[in-house]
Amino acid sequence: MQNEKHIVSSFDRDLEGVQATVMKMGGLVEAALLDAAQALDTRDEELANRVRAGDAAIDALEDQVQSECARLIALRGPTASDLRTVLTVMRIAANLERCGDYAKNLAKRSVVLNSMAQIEGATGSIRRMCRAVVLMLKDSLDAYIARDTKMAADVRQRDHEIDQMYNGLFREFLTHMLEDTRTITPCMHLHFIAKNIERVGDHATGIAEQVIYLVDGRLPEEERPKESGLRAMVSASEAEG
Amino acid sequence: MNDMRIVERDVTASSAKMAARGVQVYYGENHALKDVDIDILDKTVTAFIGPSGCGKSTFLRCLNRMNDTVASARVLGSITLENEDIYDKRVDPVTLRAKVGMVFQKPNPFPKSIYDNVAYGPKIHGLTRNKAELDEVVEKSLRKAAIWNEVKDRLDAPGTGLSGGQQQRLCIARAIATSPEVLLMDEPCSALDPIATAQVEELIDELRSQFSVVIVTHSMQQAARVSQRTAFFHLGNLVEYGETGQIFTNPSDPRTESYITGRIG
Repeated sequence: MQNEKHIVSSFDRDLEGVQATVMKMGGLVEAALLDAAQALDTRDEELANRVRAGDAAIDALEDQVQSECARLIALRGPTASDLRTVLTVMRIAANLERCGDYAKNLAKRSVVLNSMAQIEGATGSIRRMCRAVVLMLKDSLDAYIARDTKMAADVRQRDHEIDQMYNGLFREFLTHMLEDTRTITPCMHLHFIAKNIERVGDHATGIAEQVIYLVDGRLPEEERPKESGLRAMVSASEAEG
Repeated sequence: MNDMRIVERDVTASSAKMAARGVQVYYGENHALKDVDIDILDKTVTAFIGPSGCGKSTFLRCLNRMNDTVASARVLGSITLENEDIYDKRVDPVTLRAKVGMVFQKPNPFPKSIYDNVAYGPKIHGLTRNKAELDEVVEKSLRKAAIWNEVKDRLDAPGTGLSGGQQQRLCIARAIATSPEVLLMDEPCSALDPIATAQVEELIDELRSQFSVVIVTHSMQQAARVSQRTAFFHLGNLVEYGETGQIFTNPSDPRTESYITGRIG
């Protein structure tokens, strides 16, 4: 990667500015996810509402990143690593924006769940899964800052663990629902939450792949290690049935 | 999926029109070009980029032996056109330059009529047998250079009376009137406004169905727009040569990267 400065220093300022904005977005998204999971686990409605209100700021930052990138492309005509930086920043901003939406959705569902009976151990497990995903997200952004493809590759590998956590929760919810049909509504909400957190893991993986594109100029080729999650789920439901 | 890709950059002819091997150029003691190996592909636009003094114009001028006119210049190595050494003693540089035409930075029409500017080359090379044939060549060349409609009613007017962009297209018409196989362009748009530049760029793209075009340009955006192959020169070395899209998205040499992203002059 380039450590040299551009001859036109305002170009460097523009590039640094847009990257700083995307990192600020990352910080807000990480906090929103952790807060939402905490609100769920501790039944803290006030915290949940704060998370819901905070999503507007994340969306606004995404708009800012996209328009600044469009401007940068139009005015600076970036090439090579500069071009890849701009493209990467745009995609990362889109990934983070989606993660922000998931945090908001989690907060919303947590408020609904507050009025229902608690499912033994579920919110604690979700909170642990959320912490693991936020760590992945954080590491993918750190890999971006450091242009560290090894770290990015490590994040890609870890998505597998999140998938396994999700499959475990899926089975757990299924068991609850089969044993007591009154738990179907809260378990469905919890299942959507778990699924959304699993999706955040996919976005973190997407960011990690962008880091590899940024540094190497091409996306990683080899398939990520992936046990067929669908098959695991189907066999789980068959076992229960 | 492949049929959905951008096809403009496809180079259909992959055979080399011109080949340079181990080319060295000295201006007196100054080693201006160091060991250049390159294949100029047929029916392809090749752009030479690089900072001032990097040797790109020097190399361009080797391709039609324009450096012969510089007393202190020495050219070593081999350059072939269709597998024939252009520096062979038996090759007449004037005939060579009819095959490898050139367009310069500043439009330089002869102080003659528009018609005579274009007719000059075919006349001295004896490419036409009579006036009717010559008329045809002049019209065809002016049409190919996308200037026919603007000058057809005033072919007897002096070429120097045209606008800058028209003069440059007239010079291109003059260069292609001898049916060259390769057209060399040394910064052909640097004296032109954006509209005339776009017209010349459109013209270059059309010309590539018939000739190899080699263009030296200081505008990286222009190289990216018009060429299928880009060669980057730096301090007399050919640093990197490859497909234009590749060079501008993911160059392999850090010097190329630094230059095209505006980090070294």
